[in-house]
Amino acid sequence: MKTSSMTARTLDAFARMSIGRAFASGIGMVAGGFLVLLVLVAIFAPWIAPFDYAAQNLMNANAPPGWPHLLGTDEFGRDVLSRVIFGARTSLSVSATAIAISMAAGMTLGAAAGYFGGFFERAVMTVVDLTWSFPDILIALIFVAIIGPGLTSTTFAIAIAYLAQFTRLTRAQIVRLKRETFIEATINLGAKPSHILLRHLMPNAIAPVIVVGMLAIGDGIVLEATLGFFGLGAQPPTPSWGAMMSSGTAQLFLSPWVIIFPGVAVAVTVIAVNLFGDELIRALDIRDRLRGS
Amino acid sequence: MPNLLEVRSLSKRFISEGGPFRKARSMHAVNGVSFDLPRGRVIGVVGESGCGKSTLARLILRLIEPSEGSVTFDGDDLMAKSPAQMRKLRARMQMVFQDPYSAIDPRYTVHRAVCEPFEVQGERPMADEVSELLEMVGLNAGLASSYPHQISGGQKQRVGIARALALRPSFLVLDEPTASLDVSVQAQIIGLLEDLRSELGLTYLFISHDLSLVKYFCDEILVMYLGRVVEAMPDTAAPARHPYTRTLMESTFSPDPSKRRLIAPLEGEVPSPFDLPPGCAFADRCPNASAICRKETPELTTDTGHAVACHHPI
Repeated sequence: MKTSSMTARTLDAFARMSIGRAFASGIGMVAGGFLVLLVLVAIFAPWIAPFDYAAQNLMNANAPPGWPHLLGTDEFGRDVLSRVIFGARTSLSVSATAIAISMAAGMTLGAAAGYFGGFFERAVMTVVDLTWSFPDILIALIFVAIIGPGLTSTTFAIAIAYLAQFTRLTRAQIVRLKRETFIEATINLGAKPSHILLRHLMPNAIAPVIVVGMLAIGDGIVLEATLGFFGLGAQPPTPSWGAMMSSGTAQLFLSPWVIIFPGVAVAVTVIAVNLFGDELIRALDIRDRLRGS
Repeated sequence: MPNLLEVRSLSKRFISEGGPFRKARSMHAVNGVSFDLPRGRVIGVVGESGCGKSTLARLILRLIEPSEGSVTFDGDDLMAKSPAQMRKLRARMQMVFQDPYSAIDPRYTVHRAVCEPFEVQGERPMADEVSELLEMVGLNAGLASSYPHQISGGQKQRVGIARALALRPSFLVLDEPTASLDVSVQAQIIGLLEDLRSELGLTYLFISHDLSLVKYFCDEILVMYLGRVVEAMPDTAAPARHPYTRTLMESTFSPDPSKRRLIAPLEGEVPSPFDLPPGCAFADRCPNASAICRKETPELTTDTGHAVACHHPI
């Protein structure tokens, strides 16, 4: 009870202080505004999309952009705009879920490794660094081999791909903070390790991790699109930007809009995420702390 | 009067492991330190930087584990305590830190920082206790909602003292509490510490490199050199008997211009604390050193209570 209200207060203060300031600049406002809009579109997709994303109309396949299909139709006559809108749902939720899992696991491992040190730290960091030596596609293939293709495999593959980054960053923050006098002072008050970790180390370490998480969501969207493009991600008829582009390659010259619009969606989203992430770094004033991981 | 603190042959050795390209090395940060601290007294520990003063403070509070020796606090052997018992006991022995600038979590307000000792010990501060504590250390209660970066170094140190006093300890380790403050603020903090001592009946272990400050503030002085106590002076006014203390005292400036004299600086460097050769560690810098000083390490011996570890005491 106490902890949850504390978390809420911390998040509230964080929103007021940092995210608020990131929106303040022109770039931050445009990029952040676009992202908020995109999230709303993803949430309210069923009400916004003009057509059913799965409804086929072979008579009207490969129709160019126009009325009533604003962005045209694909090879099955499905409305591209509706599929891009529902694709936002897939891309954002898979990427955000994967990064959330990755952040939670990475922060836990990194904090424990940084705090306890010694053999435990070396063991954790070795295993985590090992994941870095596998190409993301290979990790995804392993999951596909185990649990079959689909969004779950994609999610876990993305989560593992970014685990090392979050673990290393958190560990670096904790190791730096652990040497501060206020930690020794609090230990000397008789504080338990849990108090030191949760009340002092983590709150001071979290800001750069959140920014990196923000930027990683952009990379996660690209990775999800890549895996979808190779048919390892979302399975038909679930729309995903990557899978749409993949099916669009077959008629690249006949009906280019099938591949162009999801491609533009990926590009614009990732650019917006990165620009907003940069503003967030500036707002939090933590550029120097993002190095050294 | 029983001693509040008894320290017996306390040692801390740091060992760096050897590898294919380097030798294993060991250093004695603190080497066989023993002393008694009677209740209500103030003992000063002086020495150059790197002589092990701060390590000694952390050993006494068991913030780091000693290699050898024992610390008895108020009849309790600290080294025999479990981590949980130790956490409980910490309420009675507190520390004021050298660097007030990093001694408070930058995300904590003054109020929260002063509440933290109670929270940590599973207690709840009384309604006015926080503002009373702030008032006791000479801080305006209006500062309670400030963050550390909004207040001055002296104010931060006062917050540090308030935090240390929150749990009503009987023993305070002051680790160079004024070293990073302006001279005028130093005087205020020293004045505050003196007042608190007589008001609350505190016992202090005062660590400093400032010999004149220690002579002013303390009842007894321990002089440390490379991890060892080289002189224990029960009377701060007594003349120094160890050549090191003598040079240390002669190298302080006198505020009285008529007493101005040429200062004889201490020659040479402090030798590397790693793998010390046998003999007196001060021998290379000592004007009175003889052959025996390079062979045998002098023991801290006393005839009158004024102990000195030197083959040729003055």
